[in-house]
Amino acid sequence: MRDDFTSFWGHRLKWTYLLGVVAALLSPVFYVIVISFNEHGFAARIYEFTFDWYRVVFADKVLLESLKWTGYLAVATVAVAVPMGVLAAKFYRRTQRPVPFLVLMLTPLFAPADIMASGLLVYFKHLNGAIEALGDSFGVGWLYGWFELGFMTAVIGLVIYTLPYVFVIILITMSRYRDQQTEAARSCGATAWQAFWHVEFPQIRAGVFSACSFVTILSFNETTRTALLKGGFDTFSNVLVSQMLNIGMSGESYAMAGMMSILSMVVIGAILIYTLARTERLERRARAMAEPSMSA
Amino acid sequence: MYFRKISALTRTGGPGCKRPNRGAPLLPGEQMHQSQPENIDTSSGAIPALLGRLLGERGLQAWVFYLPLAFMVLFFAIPMALTLLWSVFERTQYWMKPGFTLFAYDNFFTSARAENYLYSMIHSAIAVVIAFAIGFPIAVFVRRRLPQTAQHRVVLLFVLPFMISELVRVFALRPVLGRTGPLNSALMELGLISKPISMILFSPTGVIIGDVMSFLPFMVFSGFLAMEAVQPYVFEVCDDLGASTRRTFIDVIVPLAAPGIFAGGLFIFTNSMGVALVPTLLGGPGAVNAGLIANQAIVALDFPLAMAISAIMMATLVLLLYIGHRLFDLTKIIRPIS
Repeated sequence: MRDDFTSFWGHRLKWTYLLGVVAALLSPVFYVIVISFNEHGFAARIYEFTFDWYRVVFADKVLLESLKWTGYLAVATVAVAVPMGVLAAKFYRRTQRPVPFLVLMLTPLFAPADIMASGLLVYFKHLNGAIEALGDSFGVGWLYGWFELGFMTAVIGLVIYTLPYVFVIILITMSRYRDQQTEAARSCGATAWQAFWHVEFPQIRAGVFSACSFVTILSFNETTRTALLKGGFDTFSNVLVSQMLNIGMSGESYAMAGMMSILSMVVIGAILIYTLARTERLERRARAMAEPSMSA
Repeated sequence: MYFRKISALTRTGGPGCKRPNRGAPLLPGEQMHQSQPENIDTSSGAIPALLGRLLGERGLQAWVFYLPLAFMVLFFAIPMALTLLWSVFERTQYWMKPGFTLFAYDNFFTSARAENYLYSMIHSAIAVVIAFAIGFPIAVFVRRRLPQTAQHRVVLLFVLPFMISELVRVFALRPVLGRTGPLNSALMELGLISKPISMILFSPTGVIIGDVMSFLPFMVFSGFLAMEAVQPYVFEVCDDLGASTRRTFIDVIVPLAAPGIFAGGLFIFTNSMGVALVPTLLGGPGAVNAGLIANQAIVALDFPLAMAISAIMMATLVLLLYIGHRLFDLTKIIRPIS
């Protein structure tokens, strides 16, 4: 087989191209981070390192409030989307009709944020009206306001957005799991839950934790769906958008964008490093087990 | 723990591998495994037996697997389908009322909105072509030329830019592409241009650059997934038969990786058309796409118009997905991981 290793420069050129594309995708983000630490802001001739813009962000009560709501949303989305992703992956592996289910699970990836959020916004308003009408006809008050725009509707929007990612991550992790292990556990008298928790979960745990981190980052970064579905509170990215459009790009905006980028990089970087280290460890173990014993 | 022992004993796999999840909780309607008794003790009373039946493997445990399906149907499929119905409702001052009128569609197709929609389709198609030209060769290179163990690690490099907030990435392009930004400064210092290029920001070019920068990693991911289904011996056969790189790419790689290319292209196309953030931040005055038109209609409280645009967009998406699946069998992309 002809390969690039015969062409020394060809192989290196392709590597340079690959790394160049990654660098090009990341360079604007790094540029914003660098600007966010400049006391004189964007387009200044002098660069003086400072944390002042970040101090401004942390002293802003509106921003802190928005950070709090963003955190709540992330926790609630993780709590719903990740178990649901595990169930969806298990369902997909067992269902007799995988294609319609797969289409349903993955279509939200292709549905643009503004289109999906507009549809959901109108749906929730209609649903709320219908449920309230139902409450009126039965004379019960507790049905009021179930789907009024607010925290729950924002979480629903975020779960629909993040569930396809969780589903794919868990599916990748589960593809390495052998189902006979569950069967063996069941044959030994374990209940379905015990078989899952003690046998299957330890082997998909890395995927589940990766999914948790991805969902946290995705919900933290999401703008459009939360903007349309959140009701009366603000999230961090919503405040950033409104600042950019109404006030312009201030030093504070750069610091906010820098914060979001650094957080994403740290979390995703940690997952990547952990994943690579784990893969390396498993490969080493597999190699060690495959090697013939040297003892006499 | 005996579970650990089971884990170790069964790690080697066996002929039973092909049958999925024997021993996992049953889906409703499935037959229970032969060796598995139902474990319901009816001797201790009717209520525990009933509870056992309700919570058992043929009760709630079986139905819990339908939760994601129910959730997605209730909060995704139904709302998206209903956009078609709401688009023919009559507009009121602040909301809409049931009725049948095509006013929203008339309003859309006879105004500048339809023209803008078409332009955004063209810009999105250009973004797809550029993303394919830049991203797909990377997927091919990784799959074809790197050792198996290194492939996933290299693809993971593209996760980082993809997971950083799209808002930040698009926002970050403003200073970079601006007249006083680093791109223009670098080009001027290199002597390649004498004055700053202004057409790369607040213009359709800016929107296309923003779309490519935002969605390019997805072309790499889907291209790589599709390439995973292509067996390495295919490349060896091409080489042995003396096929040129160009011929191998056009006649072998592209047809085999078509599902992934299509999925990546569709993702970029629909998101370029529907994500309002990019034209808002990089397009300047007059730059719109379907998402921005829908957003503006909601701000103007013209809900039937917003729903008409959503319905058109979703119909486009479903039609393209259907065509793609008929032509290329899109499930092939996910086959290596399922």
